[in-house]
Amino acid sequence: MGETPEVKKAKRPLPKSRVMLNALVDSIYQAAWDAEAKGEPVGWSTSIFPQELCATFDIPVLYPENNAAGVAARHDSPRFIATSEGELGYSNDICSYARLSIGMAHQMACDPNYEPPAVQRMPRPTFLLCATNSCFELLKWYECLSRELDIPIFMQDCLFNYGDAKPAKHWVAYGRSQIEHNIKRMEEFFGKKFDWDKFLEIQKISVENARLFDECVMMNDRNPSPLNGFDLFNYMAPMVVARGRRETTEVLLQLKREIQEHIDNGTTTFGSAPQKFRVDWEGIACWPNLGYNLKSMKKYGVNCVTNGYVGAWSLHYTPGSLDEMAEQYMLSSTNVVNTATMMGKRADVANHFQCDGMFCHINRSCKFMTYHMTCGREIVEEKCGIPVVFFDGDQADPTIFNEAQFETRLQSLVDVMETNKEAKQ
Amino acid sequence: MADVKSLLAQFEEISKNPQKLVKEYVEAGEKVIACFPIYTPQPLVTAAGMVPMGIWGGQCNPQLAGKYSPIFTCSLLRSCLEFGMTGVYKDVSAVVMPIICDTFRGMNSAWRAGVPDIRSITFIYPQNRKDPGARDFLIEELKAVREALEDISGNTVTNEKLQTAIRLYNRKNAAMRAFCRTANDHLDLVKPADRHHVMKAVTFLKPERAVEMVSELTAALNAEPVHRFAGKKVVLTGITCEPDDILGYFDQCGVAVVGDDLAQESRQYRTDYPSANSGMESLALHWFGVKGCSSAHDDNNTARGDMLAAMAKEAGADCVVLCMMRFCEIEEYDQPSVITQLEKAGLMSFSIDIDQSTSDSGQALTKIQAYAEN
Amino acid sequence: MFAAGIDIGSTASKAVILDGDGQVKAKATVPIGTGTAGPERVFGQVMELAGIARDDVAWITATGYGRFSFEGINDQKSELSCHAKGISHLLPGTRTIIDIGGQDIKVMRIGDKGQLLNFVMNDKCAAGTGRFLDTMAKVLDVEVSALSGLSFQADEPAEISSTCTVFAESEVISKLAAKIRLENIAAGIHKSVARRVASLVQRVGIQPDVAMSGGVALNSGLVRSLEEEVRCHIRVHEDCQLAGALGAALFALHSMRNCESYTG
Repeated sequence: MGETPEVKKAKRPLPKSRVMLNALVDSIYQAAWDAEAKGEPVGWSTSIFPQELCATFDIPVLYPENNAAGVAARHDSPRFIATSEGELGYSNDICSYARLSIGMAHQMACDPNYEPPAVQRMPRPTFLLCATNSCFELLKWYECLSRELDIPIFMQDCLFNYGDAKPAKHWVAYGRSQIEHNIKRMEEFFGKKFDWDKFLEIQKISVENARLFDECVMMNDRNPSPLNGFDLFNYMAPMVVARGRRETTEVLLQLKREIQEHIDNGTTTFGSAPQKFRVDWEGIACWPNLGYNLKSMKKYGVNCVTNGYVGAWSLHYTPGSLDEMAEQYMLSSTNVVNTATMMGKRADVANHFQCDGMFCHINRSCKFMTYHMTCGREIVEEKCGIPVVFFDGDQADPTIFNEAQFETRLQSLVDVMETNKEAKQ
Repeated sequence: MADVKSLLAQFEEISKNPQKLVKEYVEAGEKVIACFPIYTPQPLVTAAGMVPMGIWGGQCNPQLAGKYSPIFTCSLLRSCLEFGMTGVYKDVSAVVMPIICDTFRGMNSAWRAGVPDIRSITFIYPQNRKDPGARDFLIEELKAVREALEDISGNTVTNEKLQTAIRLYNRKNAAMRAFCRTANDHLDLVKPADRHHVMKAVTFLKPERAVEMVSELTAALNAEPVHRFAGKKVVLTGITCEPDDILGYFDQCGVAVVGDDLAQESRQYRTDYPSANSGMESLALHWFGVKGCSSAHDDNNTARGDMLAAMAKEAGADCVVLCMMRFCEIEEYDQPSVITQLEKAGLMSFSIDIDQSTSDSGQALTKIQAYAEN
Repeated sequence: MFAAGIDIGSTASKAVILDGDGQVKAKATVPIGTGTAGPERVFGQVMELAGIARDDVAWITATGYGRFSFEGINDQKSELSCHAKGISHLLPGTRTIIDIGGQDIKVMRIGDKGQLLNFVMNDKCAAGTGRFLDTMAKVLDVEVSALSGLSFQADEPAEISSTCTVFAESEVISKLAAKIRLENIAAGIHKSVARRVASLVQRVGIQPDVAMSGGVALNSGLVRSLEEEVRCHIRVHEDCQLAGALGAALFALHSMRNCESYTG
């Protein structure tokens, strides 16, 4: 995801995995620009759409959610949000990624003096890929993009699993039907045949990468944690934009080696401050305030050793099985399953990671994830016996977050965790 | 034949006292199934021998719901949760909940946590409506709803019973559309609030009773001389336009409501159940016929604005009022495009806030009045 | 005979009296609004200034949030119509009006005769309203009228990012604690309001001339911030605060004349 200014200011040089990651992301943006220059198709996609399809067609795809996070982290979101709320008349209640990206699309399409973000500039797309697993708002957002840019949507409707069981047969059949139908529509739209052998290859790589990523996430269960938890937000980028690429495997293997080194040497990217408390951060990062959040948490010796959001790309299926693949896209996002399932899992993870508390970002932009926290709080308190504390913020709109509230809430979380520790001793 | 006034009063009484009706049904030994907005397969409930009733929240400032439901989410669903948690819905046998937006994803969890005693029959509509697999998916999904309803009622829903119920619902739709047309010839008798009460009451009535009462009202109106309304005319869109105060403002400013696309009102009755090989298929195909609705994805991305412009022109309205349910994001995403399409069609539009958690609607009055004055 | 307009806002009451030729006979403002003694007081004052008795007033039109609660009026009009009418009288040629009221922000597009063509208002949130400015002035412990002068002395306006009044309040407090100059905070507050208002202005689309109506327009520091945000000159009339009352009085005059032509 976006490099935060804090990361840029780091005294130590970037670890090799980050250098590789940045090069990979750059190459993906470059491929999109190259296609645009040749008048070839370029897609914009929601972050958990079956990327295996366009990867097989070798059509470049960029990810507005990922891009919005980067733009917001570089404090460049307000001007795009202003276009959406002002000129276009969108309510400030809708998702800030949507406001940012619709504003950007409009400027791209209508403003001859359009000034793109400093890095990770996206070319204008010729088609959209929309999966509904993360939320329903994505679909409404992509409807707006489709209107703004006058381009078609390829949809993968990944049904919200309201029940406790795995998706039923007819769910999987609908998912599979959509993959097959989308392939057909894409063959027509791109004027290319779908290469099923290559598809199988890409599926294999994707599954391998998902496995590797999960391994890296799990390695952080050591005490002290080898990674500062926010690092994981950065390593989500290849999982979003290049899940089916060999280069991603290389990045993850390198990351794994670096984590192992930290474990072996007893070092951590959290820095020299002691890790007094291990916390599960729930929700998307407050991208515009990431630096402040990190600084405040370090001040109190709080490390976010795990969070549910980074697990959203953990898609495991048998390569070659369309049914399993369809099913996985209905299971992976935090927002495609009900609260009992999601927060039950989070409680298990918090226990496994020996978390002392849970710190929840009540994200104005992400209503359903917020429901997970309000409705799941009791589940976590019961299963883990740890304090759950909320703070208000937003993933890309800096007008919602408040430093004073954040620090007060963090401090009260620390107080409770301290009391609990004392009681245990 | 009863006169228009007393008939309208009956509708108002029902619209304002659904709880009284629930009590009557339950005392008569019937089971009530509460149906969340917007589209629920109500013919299944009727075919199972039970009574479907719409639930639309209500004016209240939620105290308990806040435990599960964030303050920045849909005002209507927050009141529904509050009512569930405070026992207002205690007499219903179950609720039917279609997942048509993110707030419903949340409500699914919030209801389980907050109202564990009232069973929730949840199902999901496919949004990829053009996919060849969507129809079969929806039929299977509705079968699960049928099974749950059979379980609660102890009755089997045969295809024949379902087809009969479907015909009844299509008659209800026709009766509602006929009433709306006729009401526009009698705007002196059918004020905005009266019109609303008829539309809302019908969501609480058994379908056969609804057809009977609405047809009687329409006939009574037809017996009256046609009224040439000289004032301004508007069409309403949104989820609901409540409370009465707001509709009273229209009347107070000399503005008539001559059509609506409200989820609580005409959106319910606009689309018929098409004929099909089976009742279940007919129920599923209904969803694929829904047009111009914020909860149903449409490849034609100006469909809603175009539909509203056509509705307004046909009814002789020069303005569409967007009744924005507080924190209803699906409506908010549509808002700019709807306004643009209306502008292109040479129509005026303005938005008013609908918020069930406050009784302050002074700003709506200012806007309606400003429209009426100019 | 005379025509009167009274504008009963949420934070102030304003009144204007016109003579039969439409000339302003008297005008008055009282800094308390609906639900207080303000409306009665301002009406008493304006009659005293005009040197007339209540019986001399043939028609009274009320506007503003408290327009329904004033006894003895002949009719009432929405504040949107009244501001449109009043401003187009004070500043002919105006096509876009911005009014920052106590609890509402209104942006109006008007025609050449002062008729309202289109409008938008803020949602139910105090961000950017007069109330927001009052709250911030209180935190700074200055009169709200002092914000303007302060903001002109700013060298580096502070960044107030929260739109929520409660959060913005705590942001301002933390700026004070960080010893940021009052002047820079005042300018930051103006910038924050201006951004919010500019967003609404964009929705209606800016068509010159742009004018500001209402008492907040007297805050020239805010007007300057707003000009920067909407990138356009904003006209302000010295009687901007009375625009609503004047518009109401003009409507009253019209009704009075109609009435006279019927009876006379």
